[in-house]
Amino acid sequence: MLRDITLGQYYQADSIIHKLDPRTKLIGTFVYLVSLFLFRNVAGFLAATVFLVSMIKLSRVPFKFMVRGMKSIVVIMMITVVFNMFLTPGEPLLKFWRFTITDEGLKNAVFTAIRLIYLIIGASLMTLTTTPNQLTDALENLMNPLKVFKLPVHEVAMMMSIALRFIPILLDETDKIMRAQTARGADFEHGNLVQRAKSLVPILVPLFVSAFRRANDLAMAMEARCYSGGEGRTKMKPLRYEKRDTISFIIIVFYLAAVIVLGRITIGKFGL
Amino acid sequence: MGIVVAKDLAFEYIRRDEEGNVEGITRAIDGVTLNIKAGEFVAVLGGNGSGKSTFAKHINALLYPTEGAVYVDGKDTAAAENTWSVRQTAGMIFQNPDNQIIGNIVEEDVGFGPENMGIPTEEIWQRVEEALQIVGMKKYAKHSPNKLSGGQKQRVAIAGVVAMHPKCIIMDEPTAMLDPEGRHEVIRAARALNNVEKVTVILITHYMEEVIHASRVVVMDHGKVVMMGTPREIFSEVEKLRELRLDVPQVTMLSWYLRKDGLPLKKGILDINELTKELLQLKKSDFRLPETALNPVRKELLAAAEEKKKGSDEQLPILILDHVSYVYSEGSNDEIRALDDVSLTIRKGEFIGLIGHTGSGKSTLVQHLNGLNRATSGNIYFKGEDICEKGYDMRKLRSKVGLVFQYPEHQLFEENVFKDVCFGPLNMGLSKKEAELAAFSALEAVGFPKDGFYSSPFEFSGGQKRRIAIAGVLAMKPEILVLDEPTAGLDPKGRDEILGLIKELHETQDITVVLVSHSMEDVANYAERIVAVDNGKILMEGSPREVFKRYKELEAVGLAAPQVTYILNDLKDKGFDIDENVTTITEARYRILNSFTGSRD
Repeated sequence: MLRDITLGQYYQADSIIHKLDPRTKLIGTFVYLVSLFLFRNVAGFLAATVFLVSMIKLSRVPFKFMVRGMKSIVVIMMITVVFNMFLTPGEPLLKFWRFTITDEGLKNAVFTAIRLIYLIIGASLMTLTTTPNQLTDALENLMNPLKVFKLPVHEVAMMMSIALRFIPILLDETDKIMRAQTARGADFEHGNLVQRAKSLVPILVPLFVSAFRRANDLAMAMEARCYSGGEGRTKMKPLRYEKRDTISFIIIVFYLAAVIVLGRITIGKFGL
Repeated sequence: MGIVVAKDLAFEYIRRDEEGNVEGITRAIDGVTLNIKAGEFVAVLGGNGSGKSTFAKHINALLYPTEGAVYVDGKDTAAAENTWSVRQTAGMIFQNPDNQIIGNIVEEDVGFGPENMGIPTEEIWQRVEEALQIVGMKKYAKHSPNKLSGGQKQRVAIAGVVAMHPKCIIMDEPTAMLDPEGRHEVIRAARALNNVEKVTVILITHYMEEVIHASRVVVMDHGKVVMMGTPREIFSEVEKLRELRLDVPQVTMLSWYLRKDGLPLKKGILDINELTKELLQLKKSDFRLPETALNPVRKELLAAAEEKKKGSDEQLPILILDHVSYVYSEGSNDEIRALDDVSLTIRKGEFIGLIGHTGSGKSTLVQHLNGLNRATSGNIYFKGEDICEKGYDMRKLRSKVGLVFQYPEHQLFEENVFKDVCFGPLNMGLSKKEAELAAFSALEAVGFPKDGFYSSPFEFSGGQKRRIAIAGVLAMKPEILVLDEPTAGLDPKGRDEILGLIKELHETQDITVVLVSHSMEDVANYAERIVAVDNGKILMEGSPREVFKRYKELEAVGLAAPQVTYILNDLKDKGFDIDENVTTITEARYRILNSFTGSRD
């Protein structure tokens, strides 16, 4: 049942992208995502495509893993495409019944679809090449300046990391409790919405009780191992920028510049 | 002054109601004075609620004394400025392996303590490597803790403490949630720490086999130290230990009985070798017992035989598994055959013991009995009807085949005990009145006190909660009761109570029982037929004698025989003229006594 769900889609491989500092990857991905909205023409798309394809090649992650993430957004993508197609004003291309498709609309729809696909692939490329721990480390490090505003940066990162550890355990536990209540004749599959919601109580109460017990135990175990927040802690795996990270940043800057420049060149009568 | 010193230590838990008024005070520790020297291996024994865990938390400065004081390496644990150095000097391991691992990768978890202490990066790596080496988990350094067995997780937790370079390690029931193999791993690691690394170990437990190697045993009850001495001294007082909700290993128990029956054995025998050596010596000296010495054991033997006879008449099959296989994620790369062509017949009124190591498929098997798992191939018949057929009423099956999961108290959820027990019967479609009646008789059958019916189920002790959970299944009036490790985590007395309860249900309510257990002793004592599972297949089945006779085959798959079987086999090997095929203490006692009276029957 529930144990089939896998979390964190890290794909182990020995590539330059895997070896990059997670901060570089996080910043790079952010710049890439922003760059997708900086152009409205073919040349800009070409630049983004070249960048994305070379990153995928460098990462040595099979392409089918990137596409996996797409399934979840197919519906959202269809809706955006349809809305863009019919609701954008401009030169009418096709008219039927009460709908009109305009040239602008068609262009918008295609661009939005491609943008969304690139967005998802770009983001999955990061999660596929970075372990959840590295990600939390990078987030903690990058958000450090926010400490000035009394933001509990270390605590938030620690919470994320603990959540990552306990999600599989709690999923397993949910599965066990569901089976146990099923053995007592509980039914989670039939009935109307209210009945089904009610049938969740025998799962949720034990699950919460167990989660609190675990939280209590864990807090004690952490204290016993001298944990007292982020002050005075050293790191077993400190983040360190290497030469490859410097090179990566240069590439990212070049890419951004290229997109901005190419994004202003228009070709042909449709303004591609 | 020793490394851990407690002086007139007392601790009170104060319960408050919603307004903050004091509702009740529980004195969990009541005047404990103890001096533990550096390098000792001290075992602290005690039943549930004896205060032993509360005591452990004081050594780690997780709790502070209400009265008296605790000193760790000369430092008062109650002083705020000592907290961190105390926790570093005296590391602590907890019971639940999952709830004390913080890191998502083994090495990161081991590094957590040193990170908190502010150790430089280089040195952290060095310490992590050393610590993993000591507990034998080095090759798992890059693994996710979720993929490890319970024993391995517990060893990672130990490494996590070792990496902090403590002088003393306190282990608070580290083996309570593990299978026998995991228990051995953890105890071996603890002993290595003590012997090789010279770390002081304080082991809190209620498994008696684990304290045999301790240099000193401390027994606690109701917050007080009631016994203290070497394992031999402690184990000589079998009767007193039993009063304290504890028991002794089978070999000690058997020796104690034999002594009582008139054999001049020494007191507090701890291992098999000791006993066989003594017996051989007696034999050599031509020691003789009068025939009358056999009378008490004969009586017990007859009583046991009487009980077992009741169930042994050929009864009708009630549940039949016919060539059942179960495959996880069929067709993919990680296809797992959890059950492989299993055929099994369960007859009405039987008491079956199901044994197999963790991951052998026994849990998957029992979940087939009530249709929670659906066989990939093969058929299952309940009272002649195929339960795999479409349209079979699964709910009805689940009321007839009651399944009590491991740690069943974790499914309790209602606001009071009575409502919780009603959950099953109401799901069966019974009217409110009928359900309440069923719940009432179920709670009565498990011996739950009436004045607790309308209290929250979460208020009770572990053993009582387990009774409520079992009543929740019993209230559905099952014909077959399947219990997955019903004694896990209970102290010896609690274990005997639950097993006694199951036996009583079997006898008085004529319920067919399938008992899944890791304890060969329990299975040998209670089951009429044993089914051993390994690798998704049925390895052997038969009476306890038939199965445990093949103990060498059982050992090959990570199982074993009861200790008494080994004792008599050892005697036989050393030239004792005796029938070695026994599975219970009473049988062994009879055989041995008999060989000293000279009569043969």
